[in-house]
Amino acid sequence: MGSLLKRISSRVSVFAKSWGKSAFTESRRTFHRDVEQEDIEYAGARCLSSYYTVFVARLAIMVMLAILIGMLTLLTWHFTRVYTKKSLSTLAYGLRYELLQRPILRMWNIFNSTVEITTAQVKLSEYVIRRYSKPVNQAQQVELYEVMRDVTWALFASRRALNSITINYRNGFVQAFHRDHRSNNTFYIYSDLANYSIGGSYAINSLSSHRGWNDQSVHNNMSAIWYREPLDPITGEKTGKSGPIPPDDLINIAGISQVPDGAASWHVAVSKYSDSPLLSAALPVWDSSRESIVAVVGVTTALYSVGQLMKELVGFHSGHIYLTSQEGWLLSTSTNTPLLMNSTTGPKLMMAVDSEDHVIRAGAQLLKKAYGNKFPANHEVHIENAMIRNKLYYIDSFFLNLKRLPMVGVIIIPRKYIMGKVDERAFKTLVALISAAVCILVIGCVCIFILTNGVSKEMKLRAELISHLDARRKAEASSNYKSQFLANMSHELRTPMAAVIGLLDILICDDFLTNEQYATVTQIRRCSTALLRLLNDILDLSKVESGKLVLEEAEFDLGGELEGLIDMFSVQCINHNVETILDLSDDMPKVLQGDSARVVQIFANLISNSIKFTTSGYIILRGWCENMNTPCTTSKPWSAPKTKLKRQGSNHKRSNKKDSNMILWFEVEDTGCGIDPSKWESVFESFEQADPSTTRLHGGTGLGLCIVRTLVNKMGGEIKVVKKNGPGTLMQLYLLLSAPVDRTGECCRLKFAEHDLTILLALNGGMCRLIMSRWLLKNGVQTFDVSEWNELTQILQELFQAGNYVQDAPIGGSQSESVSTNDTRASIFIIVIDIGLLDLRTDIWREQLSFLDSFCGRVKFAWILNHDTSKTIKMELRSKGHFLTVNRPLYNAKLIQIMEAVIQESNLELQKKMDSLRSSEVGGDMHEYLEIDPLHSDAESSNSYMSEMDSSRNIRALQTGQRQQEHLYYPYQSKHGAVGNCFVELTEVYAKENESSVNDPAQIMSNLHKKVKLEEHNLATSCSSEQGSLCSKMATNGQKSLEGLRILLAEDTPVLQRVATIMLEKMGATVVVVGDGLQAVDALQVMLTADESVEEFHLEDDNARIQSRTCDSPSFDLILMDCQMPKMDGYEATKVIRRSELGTSLHVPIVALTAHAMSSDEAKCLDVGMDAYLTKPIDCKLMVSTILLLTKRTT
Amino acid sequence: MDGIVELQRQLVEYTTSLYDEGFLDDQFIQLQQLQDESNPDFVVEVVSLFFEDSQRLLNELANSLEQQSLDFRRVDAHVHQLKGSSSSIGAQRVQGACIMFRNYCEVQNVEGCLKCLQHVKNEYSLVKSKLETLFKLEQQVLAAGGTIPMP
Repeated sequence: MGSLLKRISSRVSVFAKSWGKSAFTESRRTFHRDVEQEDIEYAGARCLSSYYTVFVARLAIMVMLAILIGMLTLLTWHFTRVYTKKSLSTLAYGLRYELLQRPILRMWNIFNSTVEITTAQVKLSEYVIRRYSKPVNQAQQVELYEVMRDVTWALFASRRALNSITINYRNGFVQAFHRDHRSNNTFYIYSDLANYSIGGSYAINSLSSHRGWNDQSVHNNMSAIWYREPLDPITGEKTGKSGPIPPDDLINIAGISQVPDGAASWHVAVSKYSDSPLLSAALPVWDSSRESIVAVVGVTTALYSVGQLMKELVGFHSGHIYLTSQEGWLLSTSTNTPLLMNSTTGPKLMMAVDSEDHVIRAGAQLLKKAYGNKFPANHEVHIENAMIRNKLYYIDSFFLNLKRLPMVGVIIIPRKYIMGKVDERAFKTLVALISAAVCILVIGCVCIFILTNGVSKEMKLRAELISHLDARRKAEASSNYKSQFLANMSHELRTPMAAVIGLLDILICDDFLTNEQYATVTQIRRCSTALLRLLNDILDLSKVESGKLVLEEAEFDLGGELEGLIDMFSVQCINHNVETILDLSDDMPKVLQGDSARVVQIFANLISNSIKFTTSGYIILRGWCENMNTPCTTSKPWSAPKTKLKRQGSNHKRSNKKDSNMILWFEVEDTGCGIDPSKWESVFESFEQADPSTTRLHGGTGLGLCIVRTLVNKMGGEIKVVKKNGPGTLMQLYLLLSAPVDRTGECCRLKFAEHDLTILLALNGGMCRLIMSRWLLKNGVQTFDVSEWNELTQILQELFQAGNYVQDAPIGGSQSESVSTNDTRASIFIIVIDIGLLDLRTDIWREQLSFLDSFCGRVKFAWILNHDTSKTIKMELRSKGHFLTVNRPLYNAKLIQIMEAVIQESNLELQKKMDSLRSSEVGGDMHEYLEIDPLHSDAESSNSYMSEMDSSRNIRALQTGQRQQEHLYYPYQSKHGAVGNCFVELTEVYAKENESSVNDPAQIMSNLHKKVKLEEHNLATSCSSEQGSLCSKMATNGQKSLEGLRILLAEDTPVLQRVATIMLEKMGATVVVVGDGLQAVDALQVMLTADESVEEFHLEDDNARIQSRTCDSPSFDLILMDCQMPKMDGYEATKVIRRSELGTSLHVPIVALTAHAMSSDEAKCLDVGMDAYLTKPIDCKLMVSTILLLTKRTT
Repeated sequence: MDGIVELQRQLVEYTTSLYDEGFLDDQFIQLQQLQDESNPDFVVEVVSLFFEDSQRLLNELANSLEQQSLDFRRVDAHVHQLKGSSSSIGAQRVQGACIMFRNYCEVQNVEGCLKCLQHVKNEYSLVKSKLETLFKLEQQVLAAGGTIPMP
């Protein structure tokens, strides 16, 4: 059953499919297209299967609907049809019965009337004959016959249906009336009287008379002459002459033979003159004594009227009716076909099967076939749906059991007549039902489709969502891999970098380094720091990308930062034969508020990018400032979007109150290969390089500019590439930074013009010279510039031989020295000379030097050295008295420095001259003074680059210091001599600073204290400032820096335990080691319980904290916690410790030790309450600085 | 005197080769820097600690990996420990092997783990023999009355 259902449903579905394809192409085409599209789109995805389930479900619903509707339709059709049919067939049966009944009734009537007539004739005949029973004579006889004739006529005329009435007398006389229906003539037939004896023996003796009375006597009485005379059919009057006719020619005369036993008899006869069978009845007329038959009366009636009736009946119903005798002789039909057969012996009755009417014949044959010759008596036969000549007929037959003449009536009615309309209607109904069903089905299917379409769409969406989620999960996983990779890489890279930096620090601390070595090493140190920072930046990139980057807000010296940056890059550029030039306008504020590291990162990226693509020429970093508070009047290359600035301004409203927002414009210009204008936008996308081949040529990831743009945007600025004249790239950007108000006014404009300076710039680099001279001119300083040695000699000779330009000054000065120092401010001639101008390849440079020496005294020389200038040259320079040296590259600040030094020297000189005049003492310690500047420039260029800004401050401090305490300063300098140690100098400077301005160290602290890596410096300075004594070495400074600290180390690996212990102990700390987190917690718990005493200590004397540490209380200043430990890991332990600290004022700093170097680990560490985070392997310095930072913060 | 110089040269060369071949990294230098008068045998002490610890860990690893139901977290913890201690003395090849080992642990690859264990063992014995040779050389130098040149 199930399989059957399945098969059916599959059939139906197949049908539905094909039907759907063929019949509903138009409406479903779109759906199909959709389906196909979806198939393509989601092929291979799991949604395909879900789509199929939807499809199958949809199909199933449709099939069920189809079945339902089909059944409904069938049932409706069936019931309507069956009931109609049944009632109709009942009706039809009645009709048929009725139809047949009527001819039979007519037949019956005919019989009856025939019988009545016959009986009446017989009775009348008996009466008449009895009256004239004994005819005595001819006349009587004739009279009898006359009476008989009248009586018979009366009867005959009364029944118009009668065919004939015959009276056959015993003597052979025949009287008959005959009516010919065809010609509508009535005849009287009689035999010739003459041939009959009047006294013909009406034999009493019946037997004998019977014998004598046979048919033979009538028929064979050939000698008898019969006459026929036509009569008026109505009156019976004789209308014509009677003519003789042969006997028996016209009609059957019923003879004695037909009533052999004296009873009435029936039979069907045929007549020559009638085409229909005749029904003839014969009755004997008995004499009065009822002993013998005197005459025989015969009545024949044509069955014609029955046929007529049938015809009428059937003509209306378009069927056939026929009557047959029991033997099958056709009595009457509803058709016009002849009922008689003409044979040689005369007309004969026909069998129904031989009827010329094919329907009757076929029907008769069918009946005969079914029932044989013997018709079942008293049986009615109904055959429905009899097929005759491809038409359906109803055949019904009824048996009519008449005495002596049993008859069978058959009615054949075409089914079409009765059921035709019904069938038609049924067919129409069926068609209508089917079409309605189909319509409903289609509409239903469409509805289902539409309804389920929503569902399937939802499913599709869900599937899509799932796949999206999947994809996202995958993406997240892969991003996890990425960060894992970054973590590993950063770990792997940072470890060697930390080592490099550490080793460099050790090297820097070495006492035996020469200045040049020292400078080199510090250069390396700076580059390494930059590299390390770069590594950190790569780690930061993920931060930037995820938008987690937060900019610091701290004060910093932009100029100093940029100078340091240029210094750093110049080292790279010299090898490339590229000038790096810094051109900052004087109105740039000294101190800005912002994230210095990020600002430097921006320019570092931009400049390194430029360097990468510039093989010769120059790279200029220009900067100028536009104060937002003052309306800008200068025209800008591209106008800054005001709305954005306003928005930014509103963001900075809080800071606006005391700070002023600045728009700082920068340009980085190079003479490299340039960027194609079509790529100007796309170079700022990540992993995008202007030319794919650059990766091959120059390397790089293509991330630099992306980071730059992100950072610039973050700072409220914009960056873009600008069209440039000539080859190369010009990047323009502006940053929105705020400067503290109290500082902006401080922007000191140097009044060099007052000093009547003349500067000769003898520099190789054309661009640098141009910019410098322009800047100097702007500041009111007269400049000459030369680019090569010959030019220099020429101009020098011109100036000094011809014009006696400078000589005036000393002479004038000496002349007027006694008058006033202020008034005799001589014009000072400075030659800023590049060491590259000398021919260093051969020994010519010595001669060149001695040539320059000839001008010594009249001019001041300032040498610009390369970082790789050899020591011999430097020594030579120094021995010749050229102490004013700076390292490449030259920029404003260095030039200012040179000029200030020269001015001060000249001032000093003047003063000394005055002094010498006064005390006749020649100032021999001029050299000592001059050495300051080389030392400073060394310190500046070689100090790690964050302290660059300090150095610039140093200069300022120096200036103020010099102004205030010149006398104090010089003796000190002379004490130390030329042996330069920057740290001595620095700490000295800091000491000075402390004296001169108390704010400065605090400021330095605030600038620096966020950078753990620079903590060493902070440490050094703070230490020195705290102790107020000179620390000769930073290393020694740090070595015992953990003196007195108690540190709990929780570490399970014995090796690490040992290493960390030794490290810490070397720094002077007391270390307690535990093996796991549980022990750490226990150790701390002991501390907490014992802590109260310590608290008391604290209360007693705050200053005695160191003493309280060193006493035997088990308190810990810090915990170093390994993250992964047995029993209880670092995170758990930290949580427990922090929980136990709740409610107390205690907070033991906990530093995590972990082998992972991911920021997520860091976040996890900080999340559980740790204070800092160190990566394995432990970097000693980092650890110390972290520990110091934390312990200082908490105490 | 020449003998000492020769020995010192040998030692320096050997040490350099150890760095060049990647057996040791700068962490080892840090260790050596930590060694001073107060802890004259610090490096040897730490390294022998490392040997003990590593031997124990390797045995435990081998045991854990032989078991039917592998507890990868346990194995991972051991390897992590080994990685920490090896990185602390600067045995970076052992450390590298440990990192690979942990990767296999994470994906629960038993075959890879076994292979890695073998690898770690090899690296460990290599570095052990190297370090022992180094110490022997140092001993010789010291015995000859020379000083150990600091890198």
